[in-house]
Amino acid sequence: MIKVTGLEFTYPDGTTALADISIDLSFDDDEHITAIVGPSGSGKTTLLQCLARFLTPGQGSIEIDGIPAISMSEAQFRSKVGVVFQNLNLFPHLNVLDNLTLAPVEVAGMDKGDAEREAMEMLERVGVSNLVRSYPSQLSGGQAQRVAIARALVLKPDFLLLDEPTSALDINTTNALAELLEDLHSSTNFIIVTHDIPFVRKVAKRAVLIQGGRVVSHDLVEKVMHLFLQQNENR
Amino acid sequence: MNLDDRKWKIVQRHLGYSDDDIAQSFNSVYSRPGKLIQSGLFATLLIWAAIFWLLFSFIAPKVEASEPEQLTVALTGKYPPFSFYDQDGELTGFDVDVSRGVAQELGLDIKIIATEWDGILAGLLSGKFDAIIGSMAITAEREKQVDFSRPYYVSGAQLFVNAENDTEIGSINDLAGRRVGAVLGETFEHYLTEKHPKIETVTYKSTVDIYQDMLNGRLDGFVTDRLVGGYQIQSAKMPFRPAGPLLYREQMGIPMAPGHPILLARINQALEALESSGFMADLHRKWFGPVAADNAAVRSGEMSNRTIALMLLEGFGVTIGIACLSLLCGFLLAVPAGVVLHGKPSPLLLIVRTTVDFVRGTPVLIQLFFVYFGAPQIGLTISPVTSAIITLSINGAAYMAEVVRSGLMAVPPGQKLAARALGLSHFKVFRFVVWPQAFRIAIPALVNSSVALLKDTALVSVISVAEVVRQAQSIISVTYNPMKFYFIVALMFFVFTYPLMKFAGRWEKALKKRGYADD
Repeated sequence: MIKVTGLEFTYPDGTTALADISIDLSFDDDEHITAIVGPSGSGKTTLLQCLARFLTPGQGSIEIDGIPAISMSEAQFRSKVGVVFQNLNLFPHLNVLDNLTLAPVEVAGMDKGDAEREAMEMLERVGVSNLVRSYPSQLSGGQAQRVAIARALVLKPDFLLLDEPTSALDINTTNALAELLEDLHSSTNFIIVTHDIPFVRKVAKRAVLIQGGRVVSHDLVEKVMHLFLQQNENR
Repeated sequence: MNLDDRKWKIVQRHLGYSDDDIAQSFNSVYSRPGKLIQSGLFATLLIWAAIFWLLFSFIAPKVEASEPEQLTVALTGKYPPFSFYDQDGELTGFDVDVSRGVAQELGLDIKIIATEWDGILAGLLSGKFDAIIGSMAITAEREKQVDFSRPYYVSGAQLFVNAENDTEIGSINDLAGRRVGAVLGETFEHYLTEKHPKIETVTYKSTVDIYQDMLNGRLDGFVTDRLVGGYQIQSAKMPFRPAGPLLYREQMGIPMAPGHPILLARINQALEALESSGFMADLHRKWFGPVAADNAAVRSGEMSNRTIALMLLEGFGVTIGIACLSLLCGFLLAVPAGVVLHGKPSPLLLIVRTTVDFVRGTPVLIQLFFVYFGAPQIGLTISPVTSAIITLSINGAAYMAEVVRSGLMAVPPGQKLAARALGLSHFKVFRFVVWPQAFRIAIPALVNSSVALLKDTALVSVISVAEVVRQAQSIISVTYNPMKFYFIVALMFFVFTYPLMKFAGRWEKALKKRGYADD
């Protein structure tokens, strides 16, 4: 469970991105995907960066399974919360396999052979095991995304943040991604930050709507979507 | 008849001058060494030496004049027949023989260093060698800085003109408004600029270059030592003739840095002994006598192809060695410097930034002199090769630090973030993610820096490192064929730089293909 209380964030230039965010993101076997939606400039990306601990909020707190994120060591935090970036940020100088094994070997101190075995398993699960020796520049958008997800998942995080995962995908790969996320649910819960409403409808049961740096609604997807569309029309 | 007079007779005989000619030249304006203005570069070096002296005199305890076990003397190796390289590439000539004779009289081993004329006094003053036995004329100006021995031979300044084209030129006065050549830093240059301001004086690094421009028609005449000019023209079969009487007489002495009175006295004794034993007279016969031009050891203009090839290859080996070591040291310095330059503002950044800008904003040649002449001032005795490597390493590091910095800048910030998200420590983010990409991005520019550095090694010849350019100059001083040998040297460089440049180009294309630094 991720519990956010009274979160505020203001950029150095004085723009307040998050005014007061309080949400409980709880997951169970039945419900392992939550979406955070909102129009551009609503603060959802800032929220994701706070959740990923890339930004330090001015006020408020984030608790991961009851432990304040701020009190966790870097290693401890990163083992619990993974990130898949909007532009993926695969390492171009490493092949797919090395992209996956870098952290297990260098951070978790895993044996190189074990790390490669686990990486292979993970690549099989996401369906790109034929690409182990390829370099990121040789992959299609959908393949690269699966590799990026696999790279985050080999570290077995409890929570995985996905930033606009469908922004570079066509409709078929988007559907394939939705199926993949459905298949992957095991020990990892997904928090998806997006404005792709059809995708959210497909994968998530509950969603958080953010606007102007505040939580407008945290409810079942259909209700949130209704509200979101209504507000967009009003604007 | 004292010895000076006897030698003077030999000179006269060789030149075909009458006593009246000589007397006339004695009465001319330049019969006594006058006040001379040192050349700009030379003056600069002296100012530097002075600055260093002032800066570091309190650090380096002044070493009391002690007698060396080995006599180290300097000459140019480009002044036939006084000093030049023979067919086997060995230093030889009148001054070389005098050096050996003096050392033998003193009971010391001899070490002869070939160095550039325009830095030779600065080298002496900074303790690079004990004395110069390189046909240096005794002048009042020089005597302010160094102590001269008694003269060891006497010669004079002579105007030479083109034998075929300029039959109307009878003396120096016929050349007003025309171009006359002289070697930079030699007394002839000062004589011309001071006494014949209407003549356009053109300065050169060596007489070989002067001959080339005489043949090209860029010069109407040149002034050089009567003995040297006559000898060289004859041996190189150059179409020049002496015009007019001796312009003035010069006495050649052996200068030493001040503060070595014992050594000076002993050298004077040695010279006296060499004169009275007939050694000097023999030398004059050997080098300037009627048989001199037929003497195989003396004959210039010839050098076996094998010797030439060996000299050039040996020189290029030194060039490549200096370049490789400088590159390695420079790169090792450049990486941390580049990281600092890429980092957040800090006092360290300010220091590195200023240093890099200073090195990039000043000529390598000056840096080279700075290290070469400056190091002895702070009590460091380093060889010319070491000086060259230190200078080129620092210079290369400054340029490569900028390359490293821009390589680091070209790595998208998302890469760092992604690595952090995987839990990598700051060091490991750099080691495994940022640096490998920055390095790949920087490779083309690093290769270009390497090419520039390789070319900069050519400058090292000025501090008497026997790299390929200096070897070529030595060969040219014997063969008088600058075009041919400079072209060969250029080709040698090109054979190395061309594949490097091609490689850099290919790598750059490959980088784009593999998706580096374009998002």
